Amino acid sequence: MVASKREPATTGGGFPSLHRSRRRTKDRVLAGLIYLCAALTVCVLVGLIAYILVQGVPHISWDFLSTAFSARDESLKGILPMIINTLYIVVITLLIVTPVGISAAIYLTQYARQGKLVKAIRFTTEVLSGVPSIIFGLFGYTVFCVMLGMGVSILAGCLTMTICILPTIIRTTEESLLAVPDSYKEGALALGAGKLRVVLGIVLPCAMPGVLTALILGMGRIVGESAALIFTSGMAYDMPKEFFGHILQSGRTLTLHLYQTASQATDPNAFHIAYATASVLLILVFLLNRLASLLSRVFDRSAKARA
Amino acid sequence: MEKALNKALEKTMNNEKKRRHAERRRLCFSIAAAVIALAGAALFFLPFVTFRLGKMNYTFTSLQVVTGYINVNGTAVSLPVIAKIAAAVCPPAFLAGGVLILLKKPRSAAGCFMLAAIAPLAVMMTGNSASSTFLDLGVSRVEMSYHAAMAGMLAAGLLAAVLSMATKGADRLAESVFLVFACMSVGAVAIITIYMIAAGTPAIAEIGLGNFLFGTEWAPSSGKYGILYMILTSVFGTLGAILIGVPVGLFTAIFLAELAPRRLAAVVRPAVELLAGIPSVIYGFFGMIIIIPAIQAVFPNTFGYSLLAMILILAIMVLPTIVNVSETALRAVPVSYKEASLALGNTHIGTIFKVLVPAAKSGILAGVILGVGRAIGETMAVIMVCGNVVQFPQLLQSVRPLTAGVVLEMSYSYGLHRQALFSIGLVLFVFIMIVNISFTMISRRGVKIDGRE
Repeated sequence: MVASKREPATTGGGFPSLHRSRRRTKDRVLAGLIYLCAALTVCVLVGLIAYILVQGVPHISWDFLSTAFSARDESLKGILPMIINTLYIVVITLLIVTPVGISAAIYLTQYARQGKLVKAIRFTTEVLSGVPSIIFGLFGYTVFCVMLGMGVSILAGCLTMTICILPTIIRTTEESLLAVPDSYKEGALALGAGKLRVVLGIVLPCAMPGVLTALILGMGRIVGESAALIFTSGMAYDMPKEFFGHILQSGRTLTLHLYQTASQATDPNAFHIAYATASVLLILVFLLNRLASLLSRVFDRSAKARA
Repeated sequence: MEKALNKALEKTMNNEKKRRHAERRRLCFSIAAAVIALAGAALFFLPFVTFRLGKMNYTFTSLQVVTGYINVNGTAVSLPVIAKIAAAVCPPAFLAGGVLILLKKPRSAAGCFMLAAIAPLAVMMTGNSASSTFLDLGVSRVEMSYHAAMAGMLAAGLLAAVLSMATKGADRLAESVFLVFACMSVGAVAIITIYMIAAGTPAIAEIGLGNFLFGTEWAPSSGKYGILYMILTSVFGTLGAILIGVPVGLFTAIFLAELAPRRLAAVVRPAVELLAGIPSVIYGFFGMIIIIPAIQAVFPNTFGYSLLAMILILAIMVLPTIVNVSETALRAVPVSYKEASLALGNTHIGTIFKVLVPAAKSGILAGVILGVGRAIGETMAVIMVCGNVVQFPQLLQSVRPLTAGVVLEMSYSYGLHRQALFSIGLVLFVFIMIVNISFTMISRRGVKIDGRE
């Protein structure tokens, strides 16, 4: 390596003791910087979460979670409609993205031969995962809301989110499918099973914890998304009137509610709502994160047991 | 002997029966596909737009869309070219698919059916401009009742495609379905690129590229659309965030990969991952309640909402990306490098900075680029802390980056103003694409180097 070649020159100096002490100081300074930076990262993280939770959790009550919201009526300051809207978007998006993402991952890992098409699919998936959500928002607004005539609605938001989280789902599912040992497939093929049966009956069930992790990661992303939804699913906060009709209505999610209340807050009472909403979001994200890592640990263990 | 013969005979008869059964089923599939194709083509002749002019009701069909102009009040109404092409392609594609399936060419038939199914989508997308053309002519009521007919064509096309592929057996059908889904991300990127360009260019053409990119005044009410200051704000904000975030992130990654006791690392690493999953709105909220008052306290007489606040928030937000990617890169360096360096008498810290970091260079660079992408594209958190005044970016002044420019005025803009917002989106998109593609290149090169070593 280029870097290690330089070393003999410095150690070959005439005053080894002086040299060593200087080097020791340098090392100490660098080590100190490393510890400082690590401490800074941890402090920011802990401070951020702790501050919001300490300020917000006392304001979370059953009332807060179970009443409707109104911009004018002081007695209606709950977040129930936002929770319902978030649920709608999570469920519908996952319903669309699961078959698409899993099929794509199955094709890429089980059927595809290396070629131009596969390269194009991998490249675009990578590019898609780097596109910021505001671009997805603009795109979803022009295509789903205006051109396809859905208007600003939960359905348009779901379709936008589908494109948004597709790369995550494909990549994570792909990894878990690749982790299934080849011997399983070979065994099934040797017993005379067709390719489709091997894929759906052996490979996919073995990779299930990984697939679930992918879906939970996607869920976390949907819950936290704001810029892609602000134009597509909109800011309405009415309670849903019909079960299915609500899909074509506009509805704001928890994140957009936090954005709206925080950026338009004038009195401390409004800030309480923002703190409480932020705490609910943090708790939700934390739970999803834990669940995902728990599942992937289970998956790792079973993979090890297999190997 | 006889028994065995009998058995073999029975087996062949059974096989024969199975074969005949499969053939019959295949025939059924082919006929069904052909019938559905005919039905789809027939849908094309249904009336799909009705409008009222005075007291008369008019209707017209896709046939009329293809064959020419429609005269309303003496004015020729022309429909968008894409709609015409789509409507013209639709029935021949259906019919060709039907013929091909009867000629036992299921694959190309499926392609034709897919094409026929896509056509109505194009018509639907251009439908709004058609209806606005009518409304501009003073037609009192337009009812675009084409949705049902178009949905019917779409469904018929897809169903016929599936059926025609089914005549080749379930395994091939499944492979084709998987392939179609796998191509979705290619399609998504293609459509996004097309729409960003299509929606962004008209305003740039009208304003002039130079005036748009290098104009310093943003005043939509008086027709001035210059976004230079927004571009500069985005660039400065990102640079600042990277200048703070990269050293801190890299040092944290070194700590996690090399210096941290195993137990501590096991606590810190998931915590950093959690940091990556926190919604950006929460970062923005955190900035509003902590960073803004802090800036006000340190620099009295300032507003707080400033470029500095934006940089600090973005630095925190890019931290997890940089830490995760750099740590992975550092761990991927072969242990032999480290052992060799230590054996030559290097200290641990010296080894880290002179051997490990240079060896993990391309991975760390990839992390930095990923961070740049995240910082440029970040929207909601930035809006909440940057103050949103369009002016030359100074550290303690209120600023507005590109992303905020798009979101803030979207709800009440119309006409050229709205088109200009889409143009801002296009500029942002170009920036991001450059960042993304260079990331892909660098991470690929990194993989190649690792592979060679």
